[in-house]
Amino acid sequence: MNTIINSGVVFNIQYYSIHDGSGIRTLVFLKGCPLRCEWCSNPESQSLKPEVIVLVNRCIGCGNCIKICSEQAIVNTIEGNIINRNKCIACGKCTEVCNAGALQIKGKFYTVDDLLEQVMEDAIFYEYSGGGITLSGGEPFFQADFTYSLLRTCKESRLNTAVETCGFVPYETIERCLPYLDSILYDIKHLDTDIHKQFTGADNLIILENVRKLAKTDVNLIIRVPVIPGINDSNNNLIRTAEFVKELGLKELYLLPYHSLGVRKYSQLGRKYKLNINPPTVERINEIKEILIDSKLNIYIGG
Amino acid sequence: MKVTARINKLKRKVVSTPKAICAERAFLVTESYKETEGEPMIIRRAKAFQKVLNEMSIYIGEGELIVGNHASSCNKVPVFPETGALWVEEQLDSFTKRSLNRYLITEKEKDILKKILPYWKGKTVLEIAPKLLPEETKAVFEQVYPVISPTLFLRNGVGHLVPNYKVVLENGFEGIKSEVIEKLNNLDASRPGNIKKMQFYRSILIVSDAASNFAERYSRLAEKLAAEEKDLVRKEELEEIAKVCRRVPKMPATTFHEALQSFFFLQLLIHIETDGLAESPGRFDQYMYPFLKKDLQEKKLDIEKAQELLDCTWLKMNEINKLSDVPPTTKYFGGVSMTQNIIIGGIDENGDDITNELSYMCLEADAHIRLPQPSLSIRIHSGSPENFLLKTVELIKKGGGKPAIFNDEIIVPALMNDGISLADARNYGIVGCVEPISSGNANGWTNAAMFNLAKCLELALHNGVCQLSGKKIGLSTGEAREFNNFEQVKDAFVKQVAYFIKHMVIMLNTWDQVHMELLPTPFVSAFVDGCIDKGQDLVEGGAKFNYTGPQGIGLADVADSLTAIKTLVFENKILTMEELISALENDFEGQENLRLLLRNKAPKYGNGDLLPDLMAREVGVIYCREIEKYWNPRGGKYRPGLFPVASNVPLGGVVGALPNGRKKGLPLADGISPVHGCDVNGPTAVIRSVARVNHAQATNGTLLNLKFHPSALKDERDLKKLISLIRVFASLKLMHVQFNVVSADDLRKAQQDPENNRDLMVRVAGYSAMFVDLDKKMQDDIIDRTEFML
Repeated sequence: MNTIINSGVVFNIQYYSIHDGSGIRTLVFLKGCPLRCEWCSNPESQSLKPEVIVLVNRCIGCGNCIKICSEQAIVNTIEGNIINRNKCIACGKCTEVCNAGALQIKGKFYTVDDLLEQVMEDAIFYEYSGGGITLSGGEPFFQADFTYSLLRTCKESRLNTAVETCGFVPYETIERCLPYLDSILYDIKHLDTDIHKQFTGADNLIILENVRKLAKTDVNLIIRVPVIPGINDSNNNLIRTAEFVKELGLKELYLLPYHSLGVRKYSQLGRKYKLNINPPTVERINEIKEILIDSKLNIYIGG
Repeated sequence: MKVTARINKLKRKVVSTPKAICAERAFLVTESYKETEGEPMIIRRAKAFQKVLNEMSIYIGEGELIVGNHASSCNKVPVFPETGALWVEEQLDSFTKRSLNRYLITEKEKDILKKILPYWKGKTVLEIAPKLLPEETKAVFEQVYPVISPTLFLRNGVGHLVPNYKVVLENGFEGIKSEVIEKLNNLDASRPGNIKKMQFYRSILIVSDAASNFAERYSRLAEKLAAEEKDLVRKEELEEIAKVCRRVPKMPATTFHEALQSFFFLQLLIHIETDGLAESPGRFDQYMYPFLKKDLQEKKLDIEKAQELLDCTWLKMNEINKLSDVPPTTKYFGGVSMTQNIIIGGIDENGDDITNELSYMCLEADAHIRLPQPSLSIRIHSGSPENFLLKTVELIKKGGGKPAIFNDEIIVPALMNDGISLADARNYGIVGCVEPISSGNANGWTNAAMFNLAKCLELALHNGVCQLSGKKIGLSTGEAREFNNFEQVKDAFVKQVAYFIKHMVIMLNTWDQVHMELLPTPFVSAFVDGCIDKGQDLVEGGAKFNYTGPQGIGLADVADSLTAIKTLVFENKILTMEELISALENDFEGQENLRLLLRNKAPKYGNGDLLPDLMAREVGVIYCREIEKYWNPRGGKYRPGLFPVASNVPLGGVVGALPNGRKKGLPLADGISPVHGCDVNGPTAVIRSVARVNHAQATNGTLLNLKFHPSALKDERDLKKLISLIRVFASLKLMHVQFNVVSADDLRKAQQDPENNRDLMVRVAGYSAMFVDLDKKMQDDIIDRTEFML
């Protein structure tokens, strides 16, 4: 059961993350996610496999990428170089010859030890601030064995550990990590099963069941709700969510207002962004805080 | 605590009054010089000072509690013909026309200046000193695209001191006079050298009386105004001012009000004696605290009133101004800052934390006033109180770039390594921007020159040929095209650095010698330890410690460039020296792909990568080791610094293309900060990288800028995390850090709409300035600094 998998796919390591758990933390973004939320701000995280992104505005048209591609996957068009995603094997050779940084590979294989070494670079900052490592994604539990090995090794190094999860994974996957996990930042996107399925590709039954179980464990459980205008921000859904959180016996709820920083990434991946919405206004966020006052939960905005 | 209506009103006056030129001081000094021809220079200087103080216009502004004026009305600036005659004359008609640092001038005052300036022909440092340079050094000095920018102390007074204010607060000028009279009485005039000492002591007696009489004039004025005043509250205030000014600085201060007034008179008079910059009050919260404590204990003063008096003092420090030289000074000191550095907190000589009530009140005063002066700094150490740091980051969050943070954990050992005692080292203050110095007893010449390390690398890569002029201006260090290992590149760089440092030292020692002859400063010498003991003016080396501190600029650009050569040319062989040098000669014209290779495919300093970080350390060591070899005419050693003031923009303007992918003429990195945009791993990685530079060796100071987007400092939790970051900074033994908390968007908006953004204060280099007062290139440089956002 407790298999040690020593390598996984990581697409970003972000130091000085201060809005994802206690203290100064390093966020490790793992690739692969079972959901396909339409508002996802990290579309490069969804597929488990490495992917090449194209930053068209950086391209100087040197043509080196086209020359080196063994699959003839890159074509020059009026809109710049475009990758034929069916042909691309994400070998990364084009990114190596792209001096402009217009082509970049998202997703790199790391061993647990190599990753830990990178994370421990900031050890002194964790020590002074009570911070540590936060696994994010993607869905960290999607790379179940790697995440398990990583958390176990981190705990051996006395690191404070946290995971950001969508919860749509078998409970056992989470459960076996619990001994090595200080906090779980748990997303609840919608309480209505059908709407959940419509916008994320999966229903919420497992998600809600898992969180009920986790609420009974010792892990520091933090519920976060992305506030997506027109999708889950109705007063009714938010009030129901707050009630649900209260029933879990928790005292806090974090609201993460939708932002559009991830939109440009879709075209970089050769994909279309389906939503056409604006971030909630400050007034609306304050209004939501008002509405949720009755819940007696401490409501926080941001991570 | 709330800002009082009085303070708001006084602030409005300071902020809304345009700067203008006042000819009074220049006129009086010239008259005095004419009267004293033939007398010893130090006596002439003392008498000129005395004449100015006796005859200049004085006023007491409406609502003021702390008094003293620099020139004939608010925001007027005096003229110093002794140092500036030549450039003032040259620029007389253009002061009103400048787009930045503009000064109004009346025709009448212009006429006065036109009449007196010719008297100074051939009598200033600026005209005399360069003529004394040996031929070769003179050629280096006159280079159009120079490696060395040594003109600050050639065109202006020196300043750059942390005098011993305490000695006047506690003894008054009467106390200083009795000490000097005793020295004079015991002086054996038959011993060689003592005749000169006698003149020095006599000059101290003259300036002491001059200072006391100056205060007495305010006392009389206040009495007169009080007699005429209808408002009873104001009448009482004026009577109090009269009482205070009758007492200080002549006598020891007995109350907090007297101590603040005495302090401000000293600060003002230093700026009337010379036009030196960076006259720094140092550990203000330490030497002022006993007066506050006593008043509070004896219930003579409540805390609100004490805060208001302190706020008044803060405001008055913004009324001390200097006529700024253009060019070249303004280029290097964007926004014209007097950089009167006050530093609070830190350890005492036993190593205990001595943050006190007044330290907190200083942070509060700065939050109330929100103007560039004083340059407020804090000292941090492993035991700094959490609450003090919390108040500090709350002020940082406001976004004006203050306070700057200095680290006792590294500065104390660094200064000891320079040969001073543990007690002196623990009692350090900061001069101007970032220069640590023993308090009250040193003459540091801490901003003596800017030395362009990046230009040295350019010359090393082109066999001494300047890429902007095509002329040979450096040493012949070999054709870099033919270099076949990295050591050859480095050697060529080291040789260029050594060659230019030697010429820089010749220049600075020449200026030093001429200051010694022409510009004694008896007033400030009266309260810098060592001078009275030795019977020597500051300019002659009277201070206990003497240094000359020139700064190396372009550390990160050189480190990244050398790293690129080492990795891409010699290790990975992606590129040949031939290709590299040709591309640099052509400023990468038609070779954008090669430029991007250098910029993006070699590791960069500032990301926690060992290779470029150690390269940065080595570049620092090369500069520091060379500087440390030299001595100045005051008997002190050269101390290296690695900070830019605001010179990274203009100094970049004279440097050709570099192997880090930087094109010709663009700004260099500031201080020891990474190249803008090359630090992509966030502030913790920057701190880890910068910690690898050998700060202890750069005893004249290092400078690190960090810029945060306001979203990274939203709430209390974020502030706590910034405190942790600062504690790690202390633990990793970096020397200095300062923060700008403002978004690039807001800065761009201010650039578009200066009218409505007059209150936007930012950190430039070792000082803060109003953003709209900076020139466009400097503004762009600040916008361009990597912004950490979460």
